[in-house]
Amino acid sequence: MTAATSRPSTSQAPAPPDATVAARVRGLRKTFGSTVAIDDVDLDVPAGAVLGMLGPNGSGKTTLIRMLLGLTRPTAGTVELLGHGGDDLAAALPDVGALVEGPGFHPFLSGRDNLLRCAATEPRLDGDLRGPVDAALERVGLADAARRRYRGYSLGMKQRLGLAAALLVPRRLVVLDEPTNGLDPAGTRDVRRVVADLRDAGATVLLSSHLLAEVEAVCTHVAVLQTGTLLVSGELRALLDADTGGLVVSTPDVDDAILALREAGAPSYRADGGVAVPPGSLEAPEIVAALVGAGVAVWEVHRRRAHLEELFARLTEEDA
Amino acid sequence: MTTAVPTRTSAPLGRLAAAEVRWVLRRPRTLVLLALLGLIPVALGIGIALTGGPGAGEDGDGPGLVAAVAGNGLVLPIAALGLALALLLPLTVATASADALAGEASHGTLRGLLLAPVGRGRLVVMKAAGVLAVAVLAVVVVAVVGVITGMVVVGGPSGTLITLSGTTLGLGEALGRVALVAGWTIGQLLAVAAVALAISSFTEHPLVVLAAVLGGLIVFGVLAAIPSLEWLQPLLLTTGWGAGTDALRDPLPLDGLASSSLRALVYLVLGVAVTVVRMRRRDG
Repeated sequence: MTAATSRPSTSQAPAPPDATVAARVRGLRKTFGSTVAIDDVDLDVPAGAVLGMLGPNGSGKTTLIRMLLGLTRPTAGTVELLGHGGDDLAAALPDVGALVEGPGFHPFLSGRDNLLRCAATEPRLDGDLRGPVDAALERVGLADAARRRYRGYSLGMKQRLGLAAALLVPRRLVVLDEPTNGLDPAGTRDVRRVVADLRDAGATVLLSSHLLAEVEAVCTHVAVLQTGTLLVSGELRALLDADTGGLVVSTPDVDDAILALREAGAPSYRADGGVAVPPGSLEAPEIVAALVGAGVAVWEVHRRRAHLEELFARLTEEDA
Repeated sequence: MTTAVPTRTSAPLGRLAAAEVRWVLRRPRTLVLLALLGLIPVALGIGIALTGGPGAGEDGDGPGLVAAVAGNGLVLPIAALGLALALLLPLTVATASADALAGEASHGTLRGLLLAPVGRGRLVVMKAAGVLAVAVLAVVVVAVVGVITGMVVVGGPSGTLITLSGTTLGLGEALGRVALVAGWTIGQLLAVAAVALAISSFTEHPLVVLAAVLGGLIVFGVLAAIPSLEWLQPLLLTTGWGAGTDALRDPLPLDGLASSSLRALVYLVLGVAVTVVRMRRRDG
């Protein structure tokens, strides 16, 4: 590749490679005709993070992932993957495992033969390919069905085989697009386990999903997309804490508690199992002091944890 | 044992090509087409053995190629290759080319190859290796089954070949002529395959490739039959497809075989060039 063939979008000097960032996109934009699929997205995937990409159907999750992996050319903007960008993007791919847009395999071959074919194309494998293939099959729980034809696989088994292909080689970054599609509860647990193993091994994981509980269970970071725009991205815990819903007081004397809190200057209302105090009035010690002072029995005071579901609903509805 | 290769950014080309050839040859449709191709010389041989015999000895340059097989078994492979080149051989290589890129795209496996990454240039080489294997194997099946059937079923004047010109060639030279026609046929097929691969790189529907190639061959046939379009003939790939018969003449006229091979080479280069350019930019 000579300098003369480099395209204009790559001529702007890319930021210096940053070891703390596994993937980075800047000003990314993709249009299909007059449809804007991705509109000016900036996103960092920190190294070692498990980032969940959320968004309704058609929000651009898959398009963003495809551009990140070099499968689709951006209309504008830059992509950097494990320190490689521009025309050099493919150099990062041996260290990237991906399951994008569902598993793709040949129906007339067995699961194992399909994986052997994948293994033959993996730059990082050498010598006998059967070892890594069998290990990957074992890891996703497909060892028993490995010699059956892919044609006869259930949706969940196909998904597991796709996961196995992404895990053939130890990866620095694993990209999973809707990994639990078609999986039974055991399969979903297996995916969680695999993601946890990857994280423990120091890999970065980027997974897209529309299942919020799944993302909340495994992710350290989230990015929320809607109609091609990035609404928010960051650490999951920080986002949820910022969105916290105040305090919940467990007490048998609900009416007395509400009265006492009103007198103390904190609006409150009856909630499941006690009294809810919205944020912004009194802090926890003051509330406890006010209740105890009024002779109200207090079992427990805890911060109401916001759930990703609420955060997501608020973000996407606000914008809509 | 497996060892990690931390610096390599693409799998070795030999391993890629070997994996591709193995994949192509395990595909049921490839095997079915190869079996059908093997049936052509057998059917031809049996037909001639049943109907030919004594009456078919009308000599001279006149009678068709098939008639020349009667009592002259080593002509059978050459006649069978000529017959197969009309439809079944182009169909076989077009199928291989269609599956190579369009078929992979429709199964979602092209994405896997690009993500491995195989490398876009290497991908074309790997795919070409698979198609080449099919083309060579298809021609070899017809030729070998043709030689065996010709010698066993049709028989002939003790391992010799009587040319259309009336001379007699020994077994060695006869087999040489068969090999010459086989090689020439492979060349013609590679031209078809390269064009099919180029079409394959633009679509994810393998049927589009098959329809385009077979439709194209039919259109070529029609164009060649229109007298006022005679000036088009040097441009049509199919124009020289009768040249295989030249191998049965003595002395061997090479101009027909050479000019049709040159034409095939032009198609081959164009097809490969379009495929390479297209695959550099194709979305996976």
